[in-house]
Amino acid sequence: MSPEALATALDAEHAAIYAYGPIGVRLDTASAADARQAEAAHRTRRDALVLRLTALGSSPPPAAPSYTLPFPLTDRAAALRLATEIEERTAAVWRAALPQTTETDRATALAALTDCAVRATRWRRRAGVSPATVPFPGRVT
Amino acid sequence: MERGPRSLRVGGFREWGRRAVAYVRQTLAVRSRVEDQQPSRRGVLAAAVGAVALYPIAGCGLFGDDEEKAPPPAPDPLAPLLAEARSLAGQHEAAIAAFPALAQRLTPVARAHREHEAALAKVIKAPEPSASASPDTSASPTPPAGDAKSTLAALRAGEQKCQKAAAQACQAAPAERAALLGSIAAACATHLEVVR
Repeated sequence: MSPEALATALDAEHAAIYAYGPIGVRLDTASAADARQAEAAHRTRRDALVLRLTALGSSPPPAAPSYTLPFPLTDRAAALRLATEIEERTAAVWRAALPQTTETDRATALAALTDCAVRATRWRRRAGVSPATVPFPGRVT
Repeated sequence: MERGPRSLRVGGFREWGRRAVAYVRQTLAVRSRVEDQQPSRRGVLAAAVGAVALYPIAGCGLFGDDEEKAPPPAPDPLAPLLAEARSLAGQHEAAIAAFPALAQRLTPVARAHREHEAALAKVIKAPEPSASASPDTSASPTPPAGDAKSTLAALRAGEQKCQKAAAQACQAAPAERAALLGSIAAACATHLEVVR
């Protein structure tokens, strides 16, 4: 069991939660509902990570006051692109946690990886990106 | 002849080999005595050939001996998942062939399963790359029964089964295999978003 892997995952979840704020503003109604659901899912993961890290005697890293977005969110297309990227990055972090965890922690990491991969696919579909799937979600190429 | 050192290295066969050679010689000796009345080179030649031929057979350990008793390696725990990836790729390819309208949706999924198959074969170190290199030999399964709708339903069931199997394998896997298996499980989950 590696607290470092979980702390890294927590950092990623903080960033994802932050990003969904400006993303949601740029989306149409249906996509914005998806964004709210995604943000809620990331908050749930964050809260579970904070508890788990505390239980492991490790102090959970706090969220940064703000994060730099990788590109300006000028329109819906940019928002969908960032949403996809956020899910891909969080998927990669959770995937990286798999080898460093066992049992319940690994199950959590796998569930999180799977959720992120599914959301990334949904965002790609909304953005009209084809193919909407990748062969190895979370693998950094 | 009796000394053939290489061929008699194997323990249990030394004695057996000697006796067999002795027997052959005895038999041939009797025969050649009979043939002595009409001396035949063929008989002598056969005796020589027969005796020589015995040594290599004994030496090869054809009948099982200490050197051959290494048990076959246990099948890799990922072997069923490899078979599943291959089967699922074949099912998608068959569906594409039967319903070209599904090609755009299913082609990336079929390709993903082929990539999973190749990655698993590599991890298992199975002699499989030829199978994935020539997909049409392994992947011309029976065309899907029924219409496009029921075919998609069957493919979805296959993806769910594969996700479950990969997730279980991930949970049980040593660290060095966990990430690959996690990605495969997640990929199957994403396929359910597009196979519909």
